Amino acid sequence: MADYSNYNSWLNESRSRAWSIYQSTPTPTTKSEEWRYTDLSKLFPLENFGLEANPETSTKKPARESLTDPINTAGRVQFTGGLVTNIQLTPAMESQGVGLDSLQNTTHEKHQEIIQANLCSHILPPESGKFQALNAALWTDGIIIYVPKNVRIEMPIRGKHHLVDNNQVVCTRTLIIAEEGSHISYVEEFRSDDFNNKRFVSSAVEIIAQKNATVDFVSVQNLGRGIFFQAAQKSLVHRDASVNTLKVTLGASLSRLDLNTQLLEPGANSKLLGLYFGDENQHFDHNTSQDHLAPHTGSDLLYKGALDGSARAAFRGIIRVGREAQQTDAYQTNRTLLLSDKARADSLPNLEIEADDVRCSHGSTVGQLDPEAVFYLLSRGSSRQQAERLVVLGFLGDVLTRLPRGAFKRVVKNVTDAVEQKLHHG
Amino acid sequence: MSNAPALEIQGLSAKVANEDTSILKDLDLVVEPGQIHAIMGPNGSGKSTLAKVLSGHPSYQVTSGEVLYLGQSILDLEPDERALAGIFMAFQYPVEIPGVSIANFLRTALQARLGHGEELDLFDFQDQLLEAMELLEVEPSFAERPVNDGFSGGEKKRNEILQMAVLRPSLAIMDETDSGLDIDALQVVSKGVNSLHKQNPEMTILLITHYQRILDYIKPDLVHVMVDGKIVRTGGPELALELEKQGYADWKISS
Repeated sequence: MADYSNYNSWLNESRSRAWSIYQSTPTPTTKSEEWRYTDLSKLFPLENFGLEANPETSTKKPARESLTDPINTAGRVQFTGGLVTNIQLTPAMESQGVGLDSLQNTTHEKHQEIIQANLCSHILPPESGKFQALNAALWTDGIIIYVPKNVRIEMPIRGKHHLVDNNQVVCTRTLIIAEEGSHISYVEEFRSDDFNNKRFVSSAVEIIAQKNATVDFVSVQNLGRGIFFQAAQKSLVHRDASVNTLKVTLGASLSRLDLNTQLLEPGANSKLLGLYFGDENQHFDHNTSQDHLAPHTGSDLLYKGALDGSARAAFRGIIRVGREAQQTDAYQTNRTLLLSDKARADSLPNLEIEADDVRCSHGSTVGQLDPEAVFYLLSRGSSRQQAERLVVLGFLGDVLTRLPRGAFKRVVKNVTDAVEQKLHHG
Repeated sequence: MSNAPALEIQGLSAKVANEDTSILKDLDLVVEPGQIHAIMGPNGSGKSTLAKVLSGHPSYQVTSGEVLYLGQSILDLEPDERALAGIFMAFQYPVEIPGVSIANFLRTALQARLGHGEELDLFDFQDQLLEAMELLEVEPSFAERPVNDGFSGGEKKRNEILQMAVLRPSLAIMDETDSGLDIDALQVVSKGVNSLHKQNPEMTILLITHYQRILDYIKPDLVHVMVDGKIVRTGGPELALELEKQGYADWKISS
C-alpha cells in the first residue's frame, strides 16, 4: 500500500481507481437479474451525460456555525449542487465529540483517518457495481458522521440536498460511523425543481454500527422530473447493534435503489422500511438484500407503495441466511397499490437459506384499492376522492408509524404532506 | 315533507349486480319518523341486502320499485350523498382501514358535511368524540387506533355505534349489529343506541337482526318478518318473542 500522507492525493487515487473500475464494468442491461425491470438504455443512457474522470471539486471549506435554535435537531448539513456548503452542530454535540464534517474538505486528522479506513473500500467498494463505481469515481463531496463511544443523540441531524441549475451530474456520499453503545439519527432530503433536460443524481451511503450502537437513517427523495436518481446503501451491523432505515421515493423520473444490510454478529438487527408513490411515467426500482452472517440476528423489511398514472415500480429483495446464522428472524414484505389501469408493479421477493433453525417469511402483494374500504368511507359521507385519498394515505402511513416516535415527527409530517400533495395532483 | 315517512319502500326488487336472481322481491315497508322498527328473518331472506341497497352499495342493483327518504327518492343518490342526507348504516362486517385512525376517519366524514371553505372546529370535534367514547365505554385512546384494524368483534360494533353517535344520522340502519357480540358488549351497544335515540327522538332506526335477543334491550315499535325478499308479517314486539319460540321454519313453508 502506498503511504497517503496527503489526504487529497488519497482522495484522487481512490477516485481514479474507481473510475477505471467504472470503465471496465459493463453497463447493466435487462439481461442481468438485478436489472431486469429497468432498461437503462431506453430510460437514461449514461453516454448522454458525457461523464468524465476527475470531477470538479471545491477546496472551499463549508461554512460552520453553532446551531443555537436546535428545535428537535442535533445538527444540519446543507448540500448545494453536490458540495457541502453549510454545517451546523449544537454545542452539546460538539462537546461530546460528535463529528459532522465534509468528506472532501475535512482537515480534521481523526476524520481523515476514519475516512481513509472506510470510504469506498470495505463497505461499499467500487467493485460492487457499475453505479457504485461511478459514484466512487465522481463524488464531489459528502459528509462523515462520527459518533464516539456511548454518545447517544436522540434528535436527528438533518441533511438537505439542493441542486443548482447547471448541475447535470451530482454525486455525493455519506459515511456514518457509530462507535460502541452510541446512537445517532440522520434525516436527509433531496429536493429540486423539474428539469427539461436529463440529469443524474447519485448518492452512496456507508454505515457501520459497532457493538450495541443504533443508527436510524431516513432518506426522502422528492427530486424533480427529468432526474435519474440512483442510490446505493450498505450497512455493517455488529453485535447487538441496529441499523434502521426508511427510504421514501416520491420524485425523479427514474429512481434506482440498491440497499444491503449485513448482520455480522449475534444480536445484530435491521429494520428496512420503504415508502413510494409514483405517478405519470415515474419508474422506481428497488433492489434490496438482507444478509444474515451470524446466529441470533434479525431483519425486517417492509416496502409499501402506490402507483398512479402509468408509473411503474419494481421490487427485488433477497434474504440470505448463512449456514452459521441459526436462530435468525428475517422478514420481507412488499405491497403495492395500483391506482390506475396503466400503473404496473413487479415484485420478486427471494429467500436463500442455508441454516435450518430460522424464522423467515417473505411476501408481496400488488392490488387495487379495497372497494369495500372506499364504500365504508363513502357511507359515512366522504366524497369518493377523499375516501380514496384517505385509504391510500393510511396504506402508506402504516410504514411511517413504524418509525421511532418523537425524533421523526417532522419528517413524518413532511412525507405525509408530500404524499397528500401528489394525491391532489392525481 | 314534514308528514312524509322517514322511510317508504315501494315494491322494491333488487339483485346482485351481474347476476340474475332477485334477492329483494317487491318489498314494501313504511317507517315513520322517530320509530324503531325491527326486521327479522332467517339467513338468506335478504335482510342484509336491504341494508346495503338502502346505503347504496355498488354490488347491488335495484331492478324496480322506489325508496323514499323523507318523501324524496334516494335511488339515484351516491352513497356519500345518502350519508350527507342523514342516512347511516351500521355495518354487519365493519371494514378494516389500516393506517387511518378512527379520529381521522370521523374528522373527514364531518368535514364533508360542511360547506366549501368551512373548517371543522377541532375542539368541538374532540368533545363530541370524547362524549361518544364515554357512551360506548371505550378508552380515549380508542380514537387513535386504525379503523377496525385488529379489533375484536365487540370493538368493531362499538365503533359502528360510536360513529353513529358522532355523525348523528336521522335514519340509522343497523345491520345485524348484535351478531358476534357477547352479552356485555350487547348491553353497551344497546345502551348507546337507546341513549342516542333519547337525545334525538326524531332519529328513525331500522334494526335488522336474526335473533330476538337485542330486542330485549332496544324496544321496537314494530317488528317485521322478512322471508324470501319480502315482508310477510308485521306486528308488535310480541311478534319477536313468537318467532323466538317457533323459529322461522313455518314462515318458509307458508311463503
